[in-house]
Amino acid sequence: MNLKEYISNGIVESYVLGLATEAERAEFEIMCQQYPEVAQAREQFELSLEAVLMEDAAPVPLFVKEQVLTAIQQQTALNKTVEEATDETPVLSMGVWKWLAAACFVLFLGSGYLYFTTKQQNNELQQANNDLKQELSNTTAQLNSLRSDADMLHHASMKITPMQGTPVAPQAAATIYWDTASRDVYLLINNLPQPASDKQYQLWALLNGKPIDLGVFDVKEQRLLVHMKNVQNAQAFAITLEQKGGSPTPKGDMYVMGKL
Amino acid sequence: MSTQTTYEEQDLILRLRQQDDQAFSYLYDHYSGALYGVIKQIVPDLELANDVLQEVFVNIWRKIGSYDASKGRLFTWMLNIARNAAIDKTRSKAYQEGLRQQSLTEDTVLTGVAVVHPGMDDYGLKKQLLKLKEEQRLLIDLSYYHGYTHEQIAKALNMPVGTVKTRIRSALTQLRTLLS
Repeated sequence: MNLKEYISNGIVESYVLGLATEAERAEFEIMCQQYPEVAQAREQFELSLEAVLMEDAAPVPLFVKEQVLTAIQQQTALNKTVEEATDETPVLSMGVWKWLAAACFVLFLGSGYLYFTTKQQNNELQQANNDLKQELSNTTAQLNSLRSDADMLHHASMKITPMQGTPVAPQAAATIYWDTASRDVYLLINNLPQPASDKQYQLWALLNGKPIDLGVFDVKEQRLLVHMKNVQNAQAFAITLEQKGGSPTPKGDMYVMGKL
Repeated sequence: MSTQTTYEEQDLILRLRQQDDQAFSYLYDHYSGALYGVIKQIVPDLELANDVLQEVFVNIWRKIGSYDASKGRLFTWMLNIARNAAIDKTRSKAYQEGLRQQSLTEDTVLTGVAVVHPGMDDYGLKKQLLKLKEEQRLLIDLSYYHGYTHEQIAKALNMPVGTVKTRIRSALTQLRTLLS
C-alpha cells in the first residue's frame, strides 16, 4: 500500500472525528503503530482541529462546573464508602504463631458474626423492600380505581341524585350517580352509620310507588363508588336496613331517600 | 509540537488518573468551552446542552483510566465523548418529543436540518466549513453533527453508499487542508 495515498485518503480525519467504522479504526491503529508517518499525520490533524475548536470555545454558565464537581464528589464519596466497607486490614506483626492462630480465630469468629448479621440485615431490608413494593402496588391499584371513578363522574349522561337522611337517621346521606345512557347505577356513601353484623343496607329504586331491588352493600367499601344493579327507569332512590343478604321487598327502616 | 506540551499533557493525565481534584478543575476550565461549542452545534437548546456538558465531564472523570494516549490526544478523546453524548441526547425521547420526530428523509435534507449554514457567528471551524462546497458541507453536517451512517445518508440522498463515502472522505481531506 502506498503510505502517502493512505494518509491522504481521508482516513486520518475520519478516525479523529469518530466517523470511521470499527474495521477502519482497527486498521488505522495498526498503521499508526507500524508507520510513524501515519501517527504523525494523525497528530497534526488533531492539533489543528484542537486549535480551531479552542478558538470556537463558547462561554459556559458557571453553575455547570459546580454541578459537575458536586456529581463527582458524590461519586468519590460513594466509592470510598464501598472501599472502606470491603477493606479488612488485619494487623499481623507479632510473629508468633499462636498469636497468629488466635488472631485468625478471632477474625474468623468476627467475620462469621459479620456474615450472619449482614445476612440478617440484608434479609430484613429485602423484606422491608418487598413490603414497600406490595404497599406501592396496592396504593397504585387504589389510586387507579379512584381515578376511574372520578373520570366516570364527568360523563355528560351522569345524573346525580342526593339522598337525604330520614327521621330514623337525620345525619345519614348518600348520593346516586345514574348513567342514563348505560343505565348503570353507582352509589357514593357520604355518611351511613355502621350497621349491626347481621344487617346490611339495601338500595332501592322507586317507580310508581313500587320498590325495585338494586342490591345490598357494605359501608366499608374500598371504592369511591359502589357499582349497584342497573335500572331502566326510576323516580326516586332509597336505602333501607335489612337482614344480611337483603330482602325481596323493603321491610326495615329507611335511612335515606332522594327524588330525581 | 513542543516537548513541553507533551509533558504537561502526560502529567495532567497522570494526575487525573489519581483523581486529583485540582487537575480536574484545570481540565474543566481549559476545555469545557471548546467542548461546549461543539455540543451547542449539535444540541441548540441551552438547557439540554448544559446537561450534556455535565454528563461529559462526569464521564471523563470516570473513564480517564480507559484513555489510551497511543490512540490519540486527550482532547480528541474528550471531543468524541462530547460528540457522542450530544448526538445521543438528540435521539433521546425527551428531545424528540420537543421536535417533530426527525428521521433522515430527502425532505429533511432539502428543507435543511443542516446546522452549518452562514450566520452571525462564522468563526473557527464553522468559518472553514463554509469554504467547502455546499454538498460537502451537507455531508459533513449529516455525518458529523447528526451522526447519520453512510447508509442512511446514501438512502436519503439517493446515492450509492460508495459515492457517499468517497465524497465524505474528500470533504474531510479538504477540511484538513483548510485547517492546517
